[in-house]
Amino acid sequence: MELGALLDRRLIFVGGKGGVGKTTTAAALGLLAAERDRRALLVSTDPAHSLGDLFDTPVGSRERKLADNLHGLEIDPEAAADDYLDGVKRNLRGLVRPALYEAVDRQMDQARLAPGAMEAALLERVAALMVEDTDRYDQVIFDTAPTGHTLRLLELPEVMSAWTEGMLGHQQQAQHLGKLLNRLGGRGDDPASMDSPRHDDQGGRIREILLARRRLFYQARLRLQDAAHTAFVLVLTPERLPILESAKALKILQRFRVPVAALVVNRVLPVEADGAFLADRREQEAAHLAEIQRRFGGLTQWRLPLLSRDVQGLAALRAVAARLAAGADDPNYTG
Amino acid sequence: MAESEQPSRWKRLGALLEEFYHAPYRGAVARMRRDEEDLFMLFVYAEMMGVPNPAGFYTLELQPLLLERFHDWHRRMGMDHSPLEHFRCC
Repeated sequence: MELGALLDRRLIFVGGKGGVGKTTTAAALGLLAAERDRRALLVSTDPAHSLGDLFDTPVGSRERKLADNLHGLEIDPEAAADDYLDGVKRNLRGLVRPALYEAVDRQMDQARLAPGAMEAALLERVAALMVEDTDRYDQVIFDTAPTGHTLRLLELPEVMSAWTEGMLGHQQQAQHLGKLLNRLGGRGDDPASMDSPRHDDQGGRIREILLARRRLFYQARLRLQDAAHTAFVLVLTPERLPILESAKALKILQRFRVPVAALVVNRVLPVEADGAFLADRREQEAAHLAEIQRRFGGLTQWRLPLLSRDVQGLAALRAVAARLAAGADDPNYTG
Repeated sequence: MAESEQPSRWKRLGALLEEFYHAPYRGAVARMRRDEEDLFMLFVYAEMMGVPNPAGFYTLELQPLLLERFHDWHRRMGMDHSPLEHFRCC
């Protein structure tokens, strides 16, 4: 895919093994989009945020301006979990017998501490951002957490759908049987009865809430798999482990029919790097680049050179963006 | 007098017949529904038995429903109070 086409997509996901330069790539793409008069939102979903460090300016869980046409947002998993659970408590207000308030509160506190709770809350935020049809932004770029995490984010909606459907389906059947029982002359005051008026109303409202949430994940999935809407960019370095992990990621993304648009090969040794040590290194790199060609041959590849200095601040990021744009025009460009 | 008694007599006979035909099924349907509810409990709380439920976080709104049904369940099982230390409904 060409860079221009990529930057037309509403949703861009940048993924890859930890430390290969996802945040830098995402920021560079954001700057390139902004240059093309596209208003972009850069969203970091990695619990260990580095967006603010990269731009050398504090970014928090509120959208913050990073450059013209470019805003940043670091989702705080803990705050997301708190918000989510507060939402659940609000949803349940009026649905619960006062005698149960304490027990429900205890349940929510346990849910907050459960493994995966923050990740789940984070996914909910991501899904909401994905389906949000705001005209404040033309584009949302997700700097995703290390690939394993990201792939779980991809798998979760499907699993959730299966469970919710199972549960709601069951509840429906139980209610159906309850009505049948009533018609056969069963007593309505059976304490286990699901179809007593209070339960009926409660079950219906809870079902509505859960259906709305499932719809959110379903729509997020649909968008994720819509090639006209979404593009996934894999970032890797010409090293063995990132190649292996990216190959796995690509396989799973393809299995989930997520449109993978391009591969960014970061930290390629530039031609001006000299010395016997680097010559040796370059020889191994050539093998790795060939391996990348072999494994990801079908994908557009953009190369970014290894830099002598850290990328920090807007000026350095603009330089990376310019190199990315130049590299996108010339696949053999290495800086 | 006899004429006004007539409809209620028919009604009573109808009700008796209905009861006669429906009674055997009622127990079966009630049992079926209870089994369904027990399955539902098992489904949602399978986590306690080592089957993780990744959707649990997104279905927290079911908790109060479950607390109530859990209460019914442990009483049906002949336990006056919740057998689970960390899951108390009464």
